[in-house]
Amino acid sequence: MKNLIFILLLLTFSFANENNDTNNNDFDNEFDSEFSTNNEEIFDPLSGYNRIMTTFNDKTFIYVLNPISKGYAYITPEPIRIGINNFFENIMFPVRLTNNLLQLKFQNSTEELGRFLVNTLWGLAGFLDPATNELHMNAHKEDFGQTLGFYGVGQGFHVVLPFLGPSNLRDIAGLVGDAFVSPLTITGDGDIQYKIPNTFEQQMAIQGVNAINSNSLKLGQYESLKKDALDLYPFLRDIYTQARKKQIEE
Amino acid sequence: MKLKKLFKILLLVGFISTSANALKQDEIQDIMTKKIDNVLTILEQKNLPTNKKGEQIIKIIDEVFDYELMARIALGKETWDTLSEPKQKKFTKIFETKLKNSYIEKLELYNDQKVKILGLNPYKNGRLQLETELLGKEGSYKINYNFYNKSKDNNEQWLIYDVDLVGVSIIQTYRQQFAGLLKEKTFDEMLVLLEKPNTK
Repeated sequence: MKNLIFILLLLTFSFANENNDTNNNDFDNEFDSEFSTNNEEIFDPLSGYNRIMTTFNDKTFIYVLNPISKGYAYITPEPIRIGINNFFENIMFPVRLTNNLLQLKFQNSTEELGRFLVNTLWGLAGFLDPATNELHMNAHKEDFGQTLGFYGVGQGFHVVLPFLGPSNLRDIAGLVGDAFVSPLTITGDGDIQYKIPNTFEQQMAIQGVNAINSNSLKLGQYESLKKDALDLYPFLRDIYTQARKKQIEE
Repeated sequence: MKLKKLFKILLLVGFISTSANALKQDEIQDIMTKKIDNVLTILEQKNLPTNKKGEQIIKIIDEVFDYELMARIALGKETWDTLSEPKQKKFTKIFETKLKNSYIEKLELYNDQKVKILGLNPYKNGRLQLETELLGKEGSYKINYNFYNKSKDNNEQWLIYDVDLVGVSIIQTYRQQFAGLLKEKTFDEMLVLLEKPNTK
């Protein structure tokens, strides 16, 4: 009996040892290779400027956008804010449709078109979202930056834009394309009929309302995210890069 | 007689310790669904203070996370191997606390939301990914839990080694931050930074 226990114990121990020593090396390498290498230099020629702009955006967000959004959230009931958010989402439909088409995602394009018709006609011009809630048709967010990525355009280096935040060369080019198709800008006014603002001031006002409204539904999220950062600029840069990569893959 | 008893106890202990947290592949989805449901129920209790909620939630999810592996991948094999064992332990502990605090704090923001379990799918190198979706006020967010099988024999023990939030891997993000900081700072300086309570 004693022997049996001894053997059992021995077995467990030798087993545990084996697990720890022989397998660990392969195992670590296997995981290490799944994640990007630590030594990979990130090409970031604008890092000096980017850091300063990150601080600027951070302060603008905390001291300007956030207090306004909080005041606005206080006086505006949440269902109305969600409605306005739906309205803005719905009206940006040309951007999503164009880019789904450009990426040859025809199924998604059809669904986007369907969503727009349903929400505009039966969703009080887009304030409600019956397409998602009743018909379970999900939005397929695509923009020109993703379209460029889809066709193999590299991201270029990272650029932090004033007010808009993290971006890169490819996505800045994308923003220009999106601005052209978007109904909420004046870019390409002469060629496209459905533009809503007539002047740059009007465009800024509309974008401002959208930003405040959207932020009022996400209060606290940025602050909470920021707390995970050991160093804010590279943290925001890395999560932006990862998120965009994933969006392009999808 | 005594020996027999001892033997029985030994067996029992062995049995309990393996079955307590050994998640089998076909149990992952069910057990995670239950766990997430329980977490949501705790979050809905409006009169419970956040730190109490956090404690209870951590209790529910603790056994499915492999914090040590997470710490090791986040730091990177190269740096990890240069550390003494007590240092590795210390780092793991601090990193674990950081992850938990960050998780609890995020939960506070998402207290009326629904989670949809989308399914368990094969992932890189024979690993598994549980896809879930958080339905928020202004859109939905994908949250994916990556599992690996810790057990090298036939016993399965699936544990989480990474969480993916809208395409951003938590471990990858920490990995890049640690790598960036270690270029300018020593390991000990970085540890101090990591340990610092989130006050900024």
